[in-house]
Amino acid sequence: MTARNAIAWMIMNKSPVKFSTVATAFSRAVIPVLLVVGSLAQSVSAESLLLSNAVVHTISGATLTAGSVLVKDGKIEAVGAQLTAPGVKVIDLQGQHLYPGLIALNSALGLSEIEAVRSTQDTTESGEGYQPDVQSWIAVNPDSEIIPVTRANGITHTEPAPQGGVVAGLSGLIAFDGWTVEQMTVKHPGALHVYWPSMELDTRPKEKFKDESKFKSLEDQAKERQSKLKALDDFFLEARAYAKARTAGNCELNPPWEAMLPVVRGEIPVAVHAHDLRQIKAAVKWAQTNDYKIILEGGRDAWQVADLLAARQIPVVYEATWAPPGRDSDPYEVNFRAPEVLRKAGVKVVFSNGSDSFNTAMAKNLPYAAAQSVAFGLPESDALKGLTLYPAQLLGVAEKLGSIEAGKEATFFVADGSILDIRANVKRMWIAGKEVSLASRHTRFYEKYKNRPLPN
Amino acid sequence: MAKLEIQFRLLPRLFVLLLLICAACLQAAPVDLLPSGFRPVPVGVHALVGAKVVVKPGQVLDSATIIIRDGYIERVGKDLTPPSDARVWDVKGLVIYAGFIDPYLTLGAKSAGKEGKKDLELTGGGVKFFGVNPQERDAGAGGPGYEVTRVTPERQVAETFSPDRRTLEGLRELGFTVANVAPGKGILRGTSALVALSGAEPNHSIIKADVFQHVVFDLENRKEDVYPESMMGVVAVVRQSFFDARHYALDQADYREHPAGRIRPTFNPALEALRPAAEKKITVVFEPTDALLEDRAARMAHELNLDFYLVSSGQEWRRPELAKAAGVPFIVPLDFPSLPKMPQEDDWEQVTLDELRTWDWAPENPAVLRNQGLEIAFTTHGLAEKKDFRKNLRLAIDRGLTEDNALAALTTVPARLCGMDKQLGTIEAGKQANLTIVEGQGYFDPEAKVRSVWIDGRFYRIEPPESKEDKEVQAEDEKAEASKAANPEEGDPNKTKAKPETKPPGKVVAKEEKSKADKKEADKERKLAKLKERQKRVARSPLEGRGALTNPPAVLIRNATLWTCGPDGRLEHADLFVQDGKIQKVGRKLFANGSLPGQTLVIEGEGLHITPGLVDCHSHSMILGNVNEATLPSSAMVRIGDVVNSETPNIYDQLAGGLTVANLLHGSANPIGGQNCVIKLRDGATPESLKFEGAPQGIKFALGENVKQSNWGDKNVTRFPQTRMGVQTFMANRFTAAQQYLKTWADFKKAGGPPPRRDLELEALGEIIEGKRLIHCHSYRQDEILMLIRLMERFGVKIGTFQHVLEGYKVADEIAQHGAGASTFADWWAYKFEVYDAIPQNGSLMRERGVLVSFNSDSGDLARRLNLEAAKAVKFGGTSEVEALKFVTFNPAKQLGIDSWVGSLEPGKDADFVIWSKPPLDSSTVCQQTWIEGKKYFDNSLASARAAALTKERKDLLAKAKKLKTLSEGGGDKADSGDNSFFKISLEHLYDGKERHCLDDHE
Repeated sequence: MTARNAIAWMIMNKSPVKFSTVATAFSRAVIPVLLVVGSLAQSVSAESLLLSNAVVHTISGATLTAGSVLVKDGKIEAVGAQLTAPGVKVIDLQGQHLYPGLIALNSALGLSEIEAVRSTQDTTESGEGYQPDVQSWIAVNPDSEIIPVTRANGITHTEPAPQGGVVAGLSGLIAFDGWTVEQMTVKHPGALHVYWPSMELDTRPKEKFKDESKFKSLEDQAKERQSKLKALDDFFLEARAYAKARTAGNCELNPPWEAMLPVVRGEIPVAVHAHDLRQIKAAVKWAQTNDYKIILEGGRDAWQVADLLAARQIPVVYEATWAPPGRDSDPYEVNFRAPEVLRKAGVKVVFSNGSDSFNTAMAKNLPYAAAQSVAFGLPESDALKGLTLYPAQLLGVAEKLGSIEAGKEATFFVADGSILDIRANVKRMWIAGKEVSLASRHTRFYEKYKNRPLPN
Repeated sequence: MAKLEIQFRLLPRLFVLLLLICAACLQAAPVDLLPSGFRPVPVGVHALVGAKVVVKPGQVLDSATIIIRDGYIERVGKDLTPPSDARVWDVKGLVIYAGFIDPYLTLGAKSAGKEGKKDLELTGGGVKFFGVNPQERDAGAGGPGYEVTRVTPERQVAETFSPDRRTLEGLRELGFTVANVAPGKGILRGTSALVALSGAEPNHSIIKADVFQHVVFDLENRKEDVYPESMMGVVAVVRQSFFDARHYALDQADYREHPAGRIRPTFNPALEALRPAAEKKITVVFEPTDALLEDRAARMAHELNLDFYLVSSGQEWRRPELAKAAGVPFIVPLDFPSLPKMPQEDDWEQVTLDELRTWDWAPENPAVLRNQGLEIAFTTHGLAEKKDFRKNLRLAIDRGLTEDNALAALTTVPARLCGMDKQLGTIEAGKQANLTIVEGQGYFDPEAKVRSVWIDGRFYRIEPPESKEDKEVQAEDEKAEASKAANPEEGDPNKTKAKPETKPPGKVVAKEEKSKADKKEADKERKLAKLKERQKRVARSPLEGRGALTNPPAVLIRNATLWTCGPDGRLEHADLFVQDGKIQKVGRKLFANGSLPGQTLVIEGEGLHITPGLVDCHSHSMILGNVNEATLPSSAMVRIGDVVNSETPNIYDQLAGGLTVANLLHGSANPIGGQNCVIKLRDGATPESLKFEGAPQGIKFALGENVKQSNWGDKNVTRFPQTRMGVQTFMANRFTAAQQYLKTWADFKKAGGPPPRRDLELEALGEIIEGKRLIHCHSYRQDEILMLIRLMERFGVKIGTFQHVLEGYKVADEIAQHGAGASTFADWWAYKFEVYDAIPQNGSLMRERGVLVSFNSDSGDLARRLNLEAAKAVKFGGTSEVEALKFVTFNPAKQLGIDSWVGSLEPGKDADFVIWSKPPLDSSTVCQQTWIEGKKYFDNSLASARAAALTKERKDLLAKAKKLKTLSEGGGDKADSGDNSFFKISLEHLYDGKERHCLDDHE
């Protein structure tokens, strides 16, 4: 198909599924540089390996200072101090660090390419706000240039989270290796993403409104807020009713309600996005009343109710490390310190950069959010768990991911220093036993222009 | 006013006529005979006998007599015999004041907007640029005028004033007899008129036209995309207008003298009208709307050599010393915020400390101003409910203002400000017979009613709002019932309902009366409790706990690792010695022989790391209002230096990350942006004293997607330029214009003649050509970087820095050859198409090719951790730690031309340094202390105590607010008008909690 045909065809067929095909054809014709390299599928086939002489951060157990890891058929066969495996290829890691792959929960990786270019944005759906049958993992672009950049800093998996409305849809877990989305998808659905209605009152004085008829009294806003919460509550009760009717076998198939079934059955958690204290309290109460299994996403004010969250065993996917203090009387470091406050109270803290499109391009910096918490009191081992084992647990994949243990998937990477230290670099990476490339758009441009001859 | 006019016309014709004739008669003595059928005019001689007469503040005559004759006061004194022709009024038991004067009566933005002539946009805001929205550029349509739409000094309230009966009644009810009516729209708004609030037709009620010229820093009530849209733009517009007015006068004079052989000058009524103000013939009243901008207005007024007064923002408590320095009288509104009704207890959590402080300080603000030795005059301006005026006045008195000062602020001071102190303001023989008569304890008891006012010798009875009190009580009861019914949690609904049924019908009346008396008693107690609560200020000054924490004569840090960022590189186990704010010595074992000067503060540095204070070459963090003047393609005339925000907590947060210097830049919404301002983070200092003395001036330029409005939506497609081609075209055009401008001035200096017009835009561009102003250019793609290099080389200009410069690595050799610096991001990319090729190796690669490289923040968040950004050069580009640290210290200092003072730890430089717990590029390092010029501004060990004090203050303020809320609700007081006045936005804190980037104003 020529580019011109492609455009004509695109205009006639507005189906978003077909669009990606068209875009690919279009870009092949017009901007070939986008397609030259950077495929995720550069991996070497799985083989048996013995990684030796590494600082092995097992995460689940003690860190081995001169440890070895034996890999067979894409899985970890053994982890120990002095392993030997005759006939197996040995890689001497010369004292470098070995970590399990980092997992970036709640991202827009694969859904967002260039923030300001709308055609590259697949993050946010429209509608009335209740679309549990939206599935994030099917729309991931395997050839996104952001993914290799992210992978090159130790991140092997991500959970692209759907956005838009209140019940935004289902997420899945994606590995940064595979030829197709299907090959990359590790688990689906992972969680149902619910964006808790804002409970913040718009306190702007009337005269600050461009259109003064938009002004609503605090009282009216409180009423609206109440009705939004009620609508959310009702939605979940209706989902239960559907599940019951479905079991009884006397109702027509309805895709949105169908998508709610694993939630109703408690098979997947509800990821509740909430930063504000009022939202968090309301969500916790809602979960308790209805016995929903929830994960708190965002959690800027979570530290203020750390004990409550611990008592309800609600984990926090913390996104607020770099957010400015929530109140003007808060300590400057309040958000740096929050993960330690939560941990101390007994809350599991996972780190996330969030699913904002700008931050998606910066997803590679995920470990440094954790590092900042370490600088302000969080034990390093907990910070690392919050990047590996805990997120694996939250999405129910801890039997194969999240730590370096015999029986788990051979997904790990080598770094020449602590992964929590910005100065350190990731040197090699394996996903499910296959070594993957650390090259990216960044390294390609770097190599190209580093070698630019001096101009005359 | 159009609305008022209509109402006026709606009055019965006869009444209007009568009013006109009556008024006319008052002027002429002796009384004219009206034609038959009219109510005859009364005699104009009166004796008011027996009242307590407050002659002027501080001078009271008990049971005195005032004799009025034909509109003026004939005599005042005790034991005067009323003249035989006088009508005698028994006013025993009343208090008489000189009639009150409101020096700044505005009729609310809404009605004011419809005032005067038909509103026509004269131009889109600057006739000198093409394509600015809107396109009303037809000079014929709107008549002549100034090139900026909202500059209308030619408007006169006197020209359009026509009184509205209800407005006048409302003001008289408050005791006002005269008001200076100010125009309500625009920036340079026009002149006010002093009017008697008598209701006479305008010819008779206007006392004086053109009292003041009014300037308001008003960004509301404007069309979008019309210059100016930022506070710095407003300042530039005001300055340019006054320069133009002066030039206009000279030019016209020259033409009158030499009409032949030259082109006729343009006609401009705005500049004509501004002349008296420019020549100090009338006073300019500035309403800057913000405490820091008052300082700016005062400085500008001094620069322009104007006589001026200020309208208080109500926020001078933030920095009383700035008001004091302004040194001019303040016109003070009494629009204090009232407490909001938060729907849920938890909702109080979103109330900020700053909002609570603003609420708690507000009533004390008039006393704060007086305590600075400033004259104040009160105005009803700003009050949504004019009725709150007296209640708030009482609050101000309860919070420290004396009654004499309050009275002066209603009488003598406004009379003097309006230039009418010979005629108005006191009860003295010869003055106009304007009186305010109050019952009981006098005006400052809000319960005491204003009984009548006299205006120009005529009596105006204040009708007691008919049985208003009873109605209110009733309404309260209804309200209470209703709220109980609506909210069963608050009371037992059964009980409420059952009550009337169980009442024995016969005793109802007696019981109700008793309960009414009880209620009155309870009400009194409640009010007393309320007063007690409001009298005591809980809020602290926002200046408390800011400023230098310690200022020792000398400091020695011993045995630390010094990252000098100078020729010495990194020194282990070394000492740093500081005295008189300067670094004196750097080296090992500096005072091994014990010759340490007395009173030296010694810090044991074992295990600690010392670096120079970090320098951020690209910040928008401490700017009041919009960071962009995004309307015109060139806004070279606007200055960030006019809008430095010294009050934002960002300063503290960034000090806590080791930052000591920031280059505050205009945004990137136009190819030629505004002038920059380099500051030191001396937290607690005023905007002026934050500025980095001696730092070279600079200006923001921008290229690419932002300036061609690529991501601004489909509406913005007409401003030039829309392409990268056009960016070069436009810049070449402006530089050519600047060259010609320089030549014009050079010719004038050589040959004399009429002076050329001073043009603030071309002046700034001319300074670039003259090498006096550094360009800091926002840029991304390699082609546009090369474009600017070559274009500037054509004009003989060396570029200061390329900012962002994310494809700088592709043309590093050319940048190095030109000699520009590159201030880039550590690793931002892919947020728009032009940064898809950005790589985190950019900084290191450019450095290797000989470019002077820095990393900047462009973000209030990253500015807290520039050291960690520098670490990314180590990671991605393999730059050494010592060199990478220079990316955020020495290199940006050099780029800004301030490296002779800051950027490295070298003897002779400012003692700006940071103490770190670990190596500065280690991800787990924590900034322990930040010092500027030998003074400590941040200490991590004191940070939690500081936060605890703020938290406690907020808690105490919340407790006070809630208690007052309860007390008010208990009595049904209208504490909250539901208008969210409590949340009135303070510019100083407007953006806190929000990231500010280059394009903030355009989503």
